[in-house]
Amino acid sequence: MSPFELSEPQTLQDAVAMLDASDTGIRPIAGGTAVMLMMKTGIFQPDRLISLRGIESRYSEVSVDDAGDLHIGAMTPLRRLEKSEEAAQAAPVIRRALRRLSNVRVRNVATLGGHLAHGDPHLDLPPVLIALGARALIVGASGERVIEIEDLFRGYLETALAPDELIAEVVVPAQGTRRATYMKHTTRSADDWPALGIAVSLELNGDEVGSARVAIGAATDTPRRLKSVEAALAGKALADETMQAAGDAAAAEAEVHSDARGSAAYKRELIRVFTRRAVRQIMEMGTGGAV
Amino acid sequence: MGGQKKTIGFTLNGRRVAADIGVHQNLTEVLQEEFGLFGARESCGQGLCGCCTVLVNGIAVTSCLSLAAFADGADITTIEGIADGETLSAEQDAFIETGALQCGYCTPGFILMTKQLLDENPDPDDDAIMHYLSGNLCRCGAYPEILKAVKLAAQKRKAG
Ligand SMILES: Cc1cc2nc3c(=O)[nH]c(=O)nc-3n(C[C@H](O)[C@H](O)[C@H](O)COP(=O)(O)OP(=O)(O)OC[C@H]3O[C@@H](n4cnc5c(N)ncnc54)[C@H](O)[C@@H]3O)c2cc1C
Ligand code: FES
Ligand code: FES
Repeated sequence: MSPFELSEPQTLQDAVAMLDASDTGIRPIAGGTAVMLMMKTGIFQPDRLISLRGIESRYSEVSVDDAGDLHIGAMTPLRRLEKSEEAAQAAPVIRRALRRLSNVRVRNVATLGGHLAHGDPHLDLPPVLIALGARALIVGASGERVIEIEDLFRGYLETALAPDELIAEVVVPAQGTRRATYMKHTTRSADDWPALGIAVSLELNGDEVGSARVAIGAATDTPRRLKSVEAALAGKALADETMQAAGDAAAAEAEVHSDARGSAAYKRELIRVFTRRAVRQIMEMGTGGAV
Repeated sequence: MGGQKKTIGFTLNGRRVAADIGVHQNLTEVLQEEFGLFGARESCGQGLCGCCTVLVNGIAVTSCLSLAAFADGADITTIEGIADGETLSAEQDAFIETGALQCGYCTPGFILMTKQLLDENPDPDDDAIMHYLSGNLCRCGAYPEILKAVKLAAQKRKAG
């Protein structure tokens, strides 16, 4: 790796102050799992890294507030999130998705903030968090703003974050009676990056779908919601035809690309099948309590 | 190569140590070059194979993807540090007794991951073992013996 400079601020505010809106050679580093890979392969050669490891410990914590919203500090290691009982209660789909994300050692170190800011379309948690309606608290030189996770991703390794902005926290709103699932399909090893990741969250009213949120990743250029699928599900009976229609809508809406993990035609079929399966899985969870 | 330097001080296998490193150096490199410890070795260099596993503050870490600068103040254990003098650890004994290696290149990583798995879950079944060790690759394919080794290590640890 080429030499660079390293700063190790003790507060988030100091870290923000060390970033520069007009200089992309200065970058934050959190767990470093993605940054190190990019530096090793020469994709990225920073002049200076700003380590977030020393910032206030509250940015590494997971908690639930009085409204039932789940707050996850951006510096929370994925493994801590996986083990968090608060997170498992609030949105069990997060733990289930994490168990198949990379390996224990990477999860020990990789942080949620780094995961989201990386902007790789193959990442597992973006679709999950989009389906859960999560938002991120962003801190920059000019103050704070809140952005929906679904609005964070702009392109391959591109996000809506300015070079002098940091993700401070992710908030998953209380899910009430909504239930969610995430399905990941890998075409190489079991813990490979997905060829398709699809997250579905449904509000069920008896035998009917109230509202739906559906998001996919990996197969498309950015993680995104599939609004035609949401429309195909909302207000419909929990029946085979509904699942079928949802799968067909997903295959029609998603713009997929061929890559090393599968052709576009294959992925389109995956989307059709896994959308159906995801909806079926939620139906089979039955009613009562968030899953 | 120039670049910014940093003096790091940390505990390495129970001893206080210090080194002057370049802030761009990774932990595998520094363990090898500054301390002559070659148990953690870089193979894939991408976080996939686990050959470079070390424990940082008791947590298994991919040292090929860790900046050595972040070791400052930490407590680091490598494979060289888990025996008690001449007495091997339960995990080391178990790997030898079951023949859970051929070339041995992957073994330090597997043993350190086994140690951490058993710290978290003293009685893992096959699924739990396979899940936990899925980030470690053995190109010699000693997986069946490794499964046996982990279970034997669990028994040995319980027997004390
Ligand atoms: C072997 C391996 C296998 C993997 N497999 C999977 C997989 O199956 N599924 C999956 O989803 N992911 C996988 N990953 C990717 C992994 O999830 C990411 O590398 C990780 O989540 C990044 O987090 P980090 O804290 O290490 O980020 P870093 O590497 O520290 O940073 C990543 C990016 O985010 C920026 N950044 C970091 N923190 C912040 C912040 N708070 N605010 C703003 N910007 C920030 C950095 O500048 C950088 O651009 C894998 C990674 C490895 C190494
Ligand atoms: S060499 Fe570090 S994980 Fe393979
Ligand atoms: S024993 Fe040779 S790689 Fe595992």
